Amino acid sequence: MSELDLMAMLPDVTSAVMGDLSGTHHESYQEPEGEAVAAVAGLVASTLLQAGEQLGLGALKSISVSGPARARVILLRSHLVLTGTIEPARSLGEVEKALERAD
Amino acid sequence: METILQGLMELVGVNAAMVVDDQGHLLAHRGRAVYDVQLCEHVSGMLARVVDSIQLQHEDWESISARFADGKVLLRNLGVVPQSGPCVLVIVADATLNASFATVAIRVAANKLKRFGESGSGRTPVPSTPNAPWLSPPSAPPMAWSSSPTAPPTFGPAPSTPLPLPIPSSPSGLRPLGAPTPDPASLAFLTRCAKELARHVGPMAKVFVDEAARRVSPGQPFAVSSSEALLAELVSQIEDPKGRLAFLAALKSPPQPTRR
Repeated sequence: MSELDLMAMLPDVTSAVMGDLSGTHHESYQEPEGEAVAAVAGLVASTLLQAGEQLGLGALKSISVSGPARARVILLRSHLVLTGTIEPARSLGEVEKALERAD
Repeated sequence: METILQGLMELVGVNAAMVVDDQGHLLAHRGRAVYDVQLCEHVSGMLARVVDSIQLQHEDWESISARFADGKVLLRNLGVVPQSGPCVLVIVADATLNASFATVAIRVAANKLKRFGESGSGRTPVPSTPNAPWLSPPSAPPMAWSSSPTAPPTFGPAPSTPLPLPIPSSPSGLRPLGAPTPDPASLAFLTRCAKELARHVGPMAKVFVDEAARRVSPGQPFAVSSSEALLAELVSQIEDPKGRLAFLAALKSPPQPTRR
């Protein structure tokens, strides 16, 4: 089972996208705009990687974005970038915990 | 403004707190020695790009948390600040950050920053430099918003130098405050304040009370005679207007006797 499948199986994860740090789209699950999501996630992850290096924080592990209705979690696996969309947003904490347990 | 960022610096694990606009300009900054203005200015440009990218698909984002091997970067959307445009509160923390404390403190700080931006008539930028129009030359001290009771908020050099390295924390996760000890009656009042405030703002209440007591009685023990000033400081920490009224009512009523 791929990491994309694992992400997609989590409760309240409505879609998932696998891409890489260059923003290239690899695979999607129920995400009609998979290419756009992969591109943004790749850019965000690579920029935060640089910021983290400047700040001496070490390797980037994950990014969480929350809003009133939905949230996103972005995981880094080597050069791969896995993005999950979570609805409702209040489930973000549970998804993060599940991903940490699976890590 | 500086007081708000300084309050965040009191949290164990927080190494820098800053306000960044959508152009990546560093509008206000407090940081430990290694996180100086130059570094934070450099990073703020990157963070502005991150926010721009996120907004392409998540226009109503409220917070972003980036988890690294040795720390975290937390961003909180402040919305549009008059005369500055969209702004973001940024916290740089190491692995010792207490996530629960941080969540509450950042929410409170963000709300205070929003109110600050809404109530003030904006900032007056310092004279521009070619590379960073909102910052002073590299040799100048860190920048921070400042305000006084009689003047609108202004933007200028922060009076302090970069903070020293953190001192060891207490078991509660908060730094020892080292404030002068008040008399028993005043101490009892402070304890009541912390207890009542905790109903509205959670576990950061004691920190807010200690900070407010130091502000209203600088350099001397807090005394009950300064209670009005203290309450005025504390009530500003509560977002809900009904909560503010309830807090004031509880503190202005005589203390309930303890039943055995």
